[in-house]
Amino acid sequence: MTFDEGQGYIVLATLAAPLLAALIILFIPSEQKMAIRYVAAFFSAVMLGLSIYIFAAYQVDGEHIQMTLKWVWVENTAFLGKDGITLHLAVDGVSAPMALLTGIVAFAGTITSWKLNYRPKDFFILYFTLLAGVYGTFFSFDLFFFFFFYELAVMPLYLLIGVWGSTRKEYGAMKLTLMLVGGSVLIWIGIFAVFHEANLGTFDMQRLFAAGNDGTLSPTFQKIFFPMICIGCGVLAALWPFHTWSPDGHMSAPTAVSMVHAGVLMKLGAFGIIRLGIQMLPVGAEFWMPGLMVLGIIGALYGATAALTQRDFKLISGYSSVSHMGYVLMGLATMNQIGVTGAVLQMFSHGVMTALVFLLIGALYDQAHTRDLKDYGGITKVMPVWVVFYTVAGLANVGLPGLSGFTAEFHIFVGTFRAYPVFGALAILAAALAAGYMLRMFAIVFFGPFNVRWKDLKDLTPLETMAGGLLIGSIVLMGVWWAPFTDRIGHTVAAIPGVIG
Amino acid sequence: MVPLENYLVLSAILFSLGVYGVLARRNAVLVLMSVELMLNAVSLNFIAFAAYLDPERIAGVIFSIFVITVAAAEVGLALAIVIRLFRNRATSNVDEAALMKW
Amino acid sequence: MAEQAWLLAAIPAGMFFVIAFFGRFLPRQGDYLGVLAIGTSFVLFFFVLADYLNFYDFEAGKTAITESIKWSTVGVGESAFRLRMGIYVDQITIVMFAVVTTVALMVNIFSIGYMKGEPRYYWFFALLQLFVASMLMLVMADNLLLVYMSWELVGVCSFLLIGFYWEKRSATEAAKKAFITTRIGDVGLLIGIILLWRATGTFNIREIIEIAEHGGIGSTYLFVSVLFVFLGCMGKSAQVPFHVWLPDAMEGPTPVSALIHAATMVVAGVYLTARLLPLFEVADGTLLIVTIVGLVTALLTGFMALAQTDIKKVLAYSTVGQLGFMFVALGSGHPDAALFHLMTHAFFKALLFLGSGSVIHATHHNQEMDKLGGLWKKMPITGTTFFVGSLALAGVVPLAGFWSKDEVLHATQSWDGGWALILLGLAAVMTAFYTTRLFIRTFMGRPMDQHVFEQTHESGFLMAAPLVFLGILAAVSGFVVWHGVGTALGFPGGITEFVFLEEPERYHIDWALAAGSVAIAAVGIFLGAWMYWGNSTEKSTRLANSSPGIYDMLRNKFYIDEMYQKGIDKGLLGFSYIVSWFDRYVVNDTGVDGSAQVTGYSGYILKFLQSGRVPNYAMAITLGVVGLAVLGLVVRA
Repeated sequence: MTFDEGQGYIVLATLAAPLLAALIILFIPSEQKMAIRYVAAFFSAVMLGLSIYIFAAYQVDGEHIQMTLKWVWVENTAFLGKDGITLHLAVDGVSAPMALLTGIVAFAGTITSWKLNYRPKDFFILYFTLLAGVYGTFFSFDLFFFFFFYELAVMPLYLLIGVWGSTRKEYGAMKLTLMLVGGSVLIWIGIFAVFHEANLGTFDMQRLFAAGNDGTLSPTFQKIFFPMICIGCGVLAALWPFHTWSPDGHMSAPTAVSMVHAGVLMKLGAFGIIRLGIQMLPVGAEFWMPGLMVLGIIGALYGATAALTQRDFKLISGYSSVSHMGYVLMGLATMNQIGVTGAVLQMFSHGVMTALVFLLIGALYDQAHTRDLKDYGGITKVMPVWVVFYTVAGLANVGLPGLSGFTAEFHIFVGTFRAYPVFGALAILAAALAAGYMLRMFAIVFFGPFNVRWKDLKDLTPLETMAGGLLIGSIVLMGVWWAPFTDRIGHTVAAIPGVIG
Repeated sequence: MVPLENYLVLSAILFSLGVYGVLARRNAVLVLMSVELMLNAVSLNFIAFAAYLDPERIAGVIFSIFVITVAAAEVGLALAIVIRLFRNRATSNVDEAALMKW
Repeated sequence: MAEQAWLLAAIPAGMFFVIAFFGRFLPRQGDYLGVLAIGTSFVLFFFVLADYLNFYDFEAGKTAITESIKWSTVGVGESAFRLRMGIYVDQITIVMFAVVTTVALMVNIFSIGYMKGEPRYYWFFALLQLFVASMLMLVMADNLLLVYMSWELVGVCSFLLIGFYWEKRSATEAAKKAFITTRIGDVGLLIGIILLWRATGTFNIREIIEIAEHGGIGSTYLFVSVLFVFLGCMGKSAQVPFHVWLPDAMEGPTPVSALIHAATMVVAGVYLTARLLPLFEVADGTLLIVTIVGLVTALLTGFMALAQTDIKKVLAYSTVGQLGFMFVALGSGHPDAALFHLMTHAFFKALLFLGSGSVIHATHHNQEMDKLGGLWKKMPITGTTFFVGSLALAGVVPLAGFWSKDEVLHATQSWDGGWALILLGLAAVMTAFYTTRLFIRTFMGRPMDQHVFEQTHESGFLMAAPLVFLGILAAVSGFVVWHGVGTALGFPGGITEFVFLEEPERYHIDWALAAGSVAIAAVGIFLGAWMYWGNSTEKSTRLANSSPGIYDMLRNKFYIDEMYQKGIDKGLLGFSYIVSWFDRYVVNDTGVDGSAQVTGYSGYILKFLQSGRVPNYAMAITLGVVGLAVLGLVVRA
């Protein structure tokens, strides 16, 4: 067994850990709530450890696809040639930070769900299934399994929101699932079209990437099918105007699901655009990117503007997510190294940041049962740690230097300016609007005269503080010292043929 | 030897009679019988083609045996339904059994 | 040592974390740690200074010490996006170091007395550390990215400190206003920085200037990007039309006003403009814009200050006005005058703010002139030092303000026609006038409120000592303009020979201008004294009543705040409501739910095909089969 193969088994282990967790929890009687929680916490910790390992072990001077593990599943049958469908797991510079993000958010989400008392067994089974889907999507280099895991990540959401959610949860769950499945249909069509057009008899992405670049997938074909895949994935990345599931879905979802959903799942969409769009259909991407840029900037400005006057915590975060994912799409649409790297940075940054925000909103809502800003006032008095955490998250959201948001947005702005200066200026304007809605919320909720109705509110529990601390640590790390991230991402992005210098 | 066309014409006539029966009859049992007529027309076709076009292999014959089996099962089921219907609604008129709708 | 100048910032930055996390548990909540950290930076500054002066050799072109490290790389090869972070210590940095470390140390010591017993005492000191660290980083950054990062960090410190008394709605609102207003300027700054990067491929200030000077950037492009950068400077330095946030920022604790909103952070705009002045010189027309912005600000805020009754607000408007003076100097191509005025202003304005803090502390948070008066008797040290500071601000010979204001007026002569000089002179008259008014109404004459007067007492040693120290600086720091004084201190000459754009210039006193300057101060002071002598508001009330329209306009700051508020409420928030409405009703209810409803409705329609009658189904099947057969025949044929 070579070194790289050994690393491949670690990737496999990372993917298998949540599945194993789900399986073990399946066999624990549902009354044993503490046992379930301990198993969940243990496996989340294992996933976190493995994710950190994968991120750290990624060689920034090696091949850009590393830690490969390839198990043939079906080959040389009717329509499949060699390597027809393989479980091809590997890590590149884009998926390494995404795996780290998943590990961090999943761990934080698990220990935030410690308090969850309604059917924790079922909750954690679905939760870990979802996480397995997420990891699988990030690691898969085979279209079939990519799509399989992608769907595996989306489906449990319906139950997680529908059963454990709040505020019009059936509506939110149904809308979210239907819209995402609608997107999946487009992706599925796109995948089959690519398979058929390339006519290689394989779903292996590496070979299809090559096909996309050497002309096997004709330019016309790419131009027709790129929008399909881009919109299909874009739905999950809150691409305007397919974003409305985001405010409603977030409003209904339970805390940990919001965290994982906004933190990680939304990134699957953008990740799909990179993998299936930019890497596989570079000509189509090149052709359509100005369009994506326009949708991205509309999303960025639109989300920020709409967030200015919202009164519900989660709606603010929902719209701010639309705005920030707009940045991601803009970064991708630049098609240059800086912009695409910035987009991936923003995926990570937005992930940890929003996970933290939803963690905090959950901690407050569980006690106060209202998310209307106007009901609050001066709660710094009773929840100082909560407020400090929220302030950090909020300022990261605003793009304060020293926190992750700035690092990401800066790279996106620079990339956008290189390609489209006017859109770059508009994007910076959207960042100023972010200051508007964040500070408005700070002013209303945290500060001002203390509303005595909230004198019994408790600050964060030690567990929540730990989860929040982990997220804040990531935010600050990336804000101050971003070289480890840019090294990895840039290493891979530079190797994508469609992306210019 | 009787030409193949004769069988085909007979089969077509049988089939058309069956279609007419299904569309025109209102009694559930008669409808069922008409369906049987159609199935038999098909079986006849199978056998005729098997005997004339491909005498070595007997795929058509085997198919007609399948058809007969299926038809038997179908009749068993359908008669059971008709009996339940008659017991509940005291009729075997298919027009009156229109509950399975929006 | 100068290569390690980053230590100056690193020490307070480290102390921020110590005090923020552990301050609560330390005796005295760790305030001495704050003084210790900033004191260390203050001491280290002298080592940096000594080292720098050893190194400095204008003839040999050795004017800047630089040190940088690789920070991050995106991509590979030629086209890779490489970032370096580093420090750049030159004359401007040295002057800024001197200002920041001195004032910060004084404010820290003062705060121990002033903030005593306040809630979140440790947090105040922690934020001061963070602020000082970011401010020092800002003035020694060698690239615009680091400048922007520190720029935002000082902004957020300012936000948190203005909102320090967050229980007060007004403090929260002021903090929000300050952050958002400067943030709008920062949008411009970031755009400008990235535009400059786009043209030059670097963030390094030196390299950008070199490329621009060699014509590497198209003139229109350079003009636009420099203006964007200047927008950020205007926001931070509260120049018209961004001036609205600074007076409101007075909601913060007074030491904060002294440090951040008078001496250091608000001059960041002046600093950056001075730093990038070669770019402004290359970009035709930008200097005129800088001058005009400075002049308008100086005049407008001079008028506004006339009618304010809150002592801190008067000082705030005065600060904005003096920043306008500095911009006029910069616009006239004289960074020496601007930096000189920046330094003296930092000392005497910090003194005035700390003095007003002392008054506010002593009178238990009374800062309305209508309740004060005659306090000199009660507070001799505060009164005396405040007196010195006021004279310096008014520009009386031979206090610091005189020399630097004289230099600024001198600088304006580079504009033909003397319009700049005349307008600035008018602003200077108003400065002297409202300073006199401020001093008389606070410290002289009869007390307006006997009750307040009775309970007033002199502040303690910790508050008095910084006042005295700054008072001395306010009195003597102007002399550094003289060649002899400069060389005696070990500099290569007076401040104009130390800070310059292209060539060092030895100071020559322009007697006519100096006389004019003295006259300006005298007129202003005389008018102020005549109007308010003995703390009597009789004459001024009469004046106000004789033209109520003008008075109301001044009192309400030309209604600019109201206009902005209306613009935000009606414009931006209105637009936000429209977007939200659009999102809910058009995108969501029509687009998303609408398509679901169309699906549902078509199901409703189509379900009637499901008649439940077997013959219908049979007929449909038959027709279908026949149809398909016909279709097959047609296609084959």
